Amino acid sequence: MSDYILDVKNLRKLFPVRRSMKQMIKKERNFVHAIDGVSFNVKRGEIFGLIGESGCGKTTTGKVVMHLLESTEGQLILNGDDVTKLDKKALGVYRRNVQMIFQDPYASMNPRFTIRRVLLEPLEIHNVGATQEEREAMIVKALESVKLTPAEEFLDRYPHMLSGGQRQRVATARTLILNPKIVVADEPVSMVDLSTRAELLQMMKDVQQEMGLTYIYITHDLSTARYFTDRIAVMYLGRIVELANADDLIDHAKHPYTKALIAAVCEPVSGKVNHIKEVPIEGEIPSAAHIPSGCRFHPRCIYAQPDCATEPEPELQSDANGHLVACRHWNDLKRK
Amino acid sequence: MKTALVKKTSTGTNGKRAKGLFTSFWNEFKRYKYGMVGVVLLLMFILVVILEPLILPFPEAGSRWRDITYWQDNPDNAAPAWTNWFTAKDKTPQQTLKPVNLVEQNEPGLSFVDGEIPYNYQYDDPPTDIAFRAMVQGDVSFIVSLVRPDGTELPLFDTHTASSVPSDFRVSLNSATIDNVFEFVRGYEDPSVTAVYNRRTMNVMNVLFAKAQPGMLYNPEPMKGQYTFKVTSVTIGAGEITDARMEVAGKVFGIMGTDSAKRDIWSGLVCGTKWALLIGITTSLVSVVIGVTYGVVSSFFGGIVDTVMMRIHEVVYNMPLLPIIIVMSAVFKPNLWTMIILMCLFFWTGSVRTVRSMGLQIKEETYIEAARALNASNSRIIFKHMLPQLIPYSFASMALAVPGAILYESTISLLGLGDATIVTWGQILQDASNGSAVLQGLWWWVVPPGILMGLMGMTFAFIGFAMDTILNPKLRTR
Repeated sequence: MSDYILDVKNLRKLFPVRRSMKQMIKKERNFVHAIDGVSFNVKRGEIFGLIGESGCGKTTTGKVVMHLLESTEGQLILNGDDVTKLDKKALGVYRRNVQMIFQDPYASMNPRFTIRRVLLEPLEIHNVGATQEEREAMIVKALESVKLTPAEEFLDRYPHMLSGGQRQRVATARTLILNPKIVVADEPVSMVDLSTRAELLQMMKDVQQEMGLTYIYITHDLSTARYFTDRIAVMYLGRIVELANADDLIDHAKHPYTKALIAAVCEPVSGKVNHIKEVPIEGEIPSAAHIPSGCRFHPRCIYAQPDCATEPEPELQSDANGHLVACRHWNDLKRK
Repeated sequence: MKTALVKKTSTGTNGKRAKGLFTSFWNEFKRYKYGMVGVVLLLMFILVVILEPLILPFPEAGSRWRDITYWQDNPDNAAPAWTNWFTAKDKTPQQTLKPVNLVEQNEPGLSFVDGEIPYNYQYDDPPTDIAFRAMVQGDVSFIVSLVRPDGTELPLFDTHTASSVPSDFRVSLNSATIDNVFEFVRGYEDPSVTAVYNRRTMNVMNVLFAKAQPGMLYNPEPMKGQYTFKVTSVTIGAGEITDARMEVAGKVFGIMGTDSAKRDIWSGLVCGTKWALLIGITTSLVSVVIGVTYGVVSSFFGGIVDTVMMRIHEVVYNMPLLPIIIVMSAVFKPNLWTMIILMCLFFWTGSVRTVRSMGLQIKEETYIEAARALNASNSRIIFKHMLPQLIPYSFASMALAVPGAILYESTISLLGLGDATIVTWGQILQDASNGSAVLQGLWWWVVPPGILMGLMGMTFAFIGFAMDTILNPKLRTR
């Protein structure tokens, strides 16, 4: 068995764009390149962070990994088995092993379900637990593992009677109740109060260590990513532009986009409050339907050279420490 | 509240929890006054259906609604009896008079029975008719006379009947007593008056209950007091007379009056309740269940399935129901059940569009995606996640479909295509319209069935709205 629990190889997901009558006659087809050749490995028991601004394809990646969307191209390998295409039965097994926590804890639970029913649902679907009592015990245990105690008090409540943090705990309990191997957490704390974020992440980390879980943590928030993850991949416009250990990536960012992201983080430091930051980046993110030629970041890159636009897209290249970066000139940038 | 929840959990079993859920639902429901009004109304309607045999003045009203002989002793177009409370002149109400003081005399081959039928007349407006009725077997003659409060005894009629089996015997005083009454009047009225008010034009009842004085033909003054019908029966050989009585067909009648065919409207309304409930609930339930499922399935699968299902829906939606029902009733015998089935076949389209648009919205919710990530099957998502959301809407549209179905039934009845073996509110209204009840001012024929239809619709609307408020957690105020 390899170190890697999940292997994503050259994943692509294209969405067809609605065509006009003229385009239909000309048989033109346009696609939104939501994911455009993404490869990464996730190690067993690690927390893998996927970072990028909105629209960069990080959530789509998570959904393709969950098989909520089918990939257009590429390969998914779980534990050495190819799981790119799955039949109904295999999908059931796969979804027991891979679970997802959604961004919005307010929307991810049916408002008509009590917490008991929310947690009973995965057990019913996967036919876990022989008797009602057994299932009830599992539900209570799952609630206790996410530190919702006393669990009995929550069972008959509705989601709207809980706080955002409590809901996200219930959502976590729902994924954990099936003992998955991988949990895809899509911005699990972005809609939770700042005050409870750290607590929630700590709980997730505790659970991970207890159960030997692997997380794929999707976020746009560098600060929680550094706090929470072991390795981080930075995505830009459907591609990974930099991948390294969390501390290494943030302390020694190599790609100009990563640098811009780090520079954009707001710091509540006295004296800097009224200081408007100059972010080393230009313009807006281009449309994923019209990817720029060459390096896709070059229109916004302040270090862009003429060859960035003309030469083919740079691939991820490794430095001596295994720090991967997709920039032709990263070495020159360091010297500047 | 909290302790109650904990307790519920510790008891554990499923049945108890369902019971607990119902109790908490009911406790919540009780807080909505309009919901309770709806429940009370519904219970009243159900009570009427259950107690039908007890509150029906004419037990066979339902089955013999169109049998004119069943209603022949009633007055026609009579207002409800309680209208007397609001008028200066009291009209005679419907009454059944029973014989008293029976004296039997037997001689070889003959038997005589003398009886008296007392009638305490205290009204200003005489009855429309009085009928002498009995079940008679054998060779029987009746001699009937009337003793009036002023002491005069007026022979009414003598008649003879023979029947080997017990059969209905009926004599209408209006027609049988003309000659005797006219002779009686002639003793008081001027010949010039009796020339105008002759046998054919005089009103027998006016004379019988008027003071014996000149003018009793054209300006009768009611004589109140104790009247007695003296009845003597002569039976030759073996015979039997049972259930002898006088039926006073008044000018006012019962709780709801009568229609132009002498039918008791109250009986019709009571009999119609069960059919209204049956037609309304069955049609709306079946058609809403079909419509909601159809809409959800269409929205859930989307794409080509959605397109095809929507086109089918549009075709059915635009089909005019009425001509089809007319054709169908030419093919089949008009029958309650074929009518309900036909209505279901067309009514389901009502809720599809709304449900589909709601379904499209729910489909995109994150919790549907979350359920999918848990590997929930399509049917699970449809039946456990989507359909329950539509229950409040379903109840509301059911509530709206109930009066629609009842009204449609009456429309069909209006065209003479209703089920002739039953009586429905719609048919009563249809008869009223045929009998131009509105033009004649027979409001008791038109208003009560209309009010009942409105009440029936209100019942379900109130219940639906209250359930909507409770079952929709976002509107909850817990």
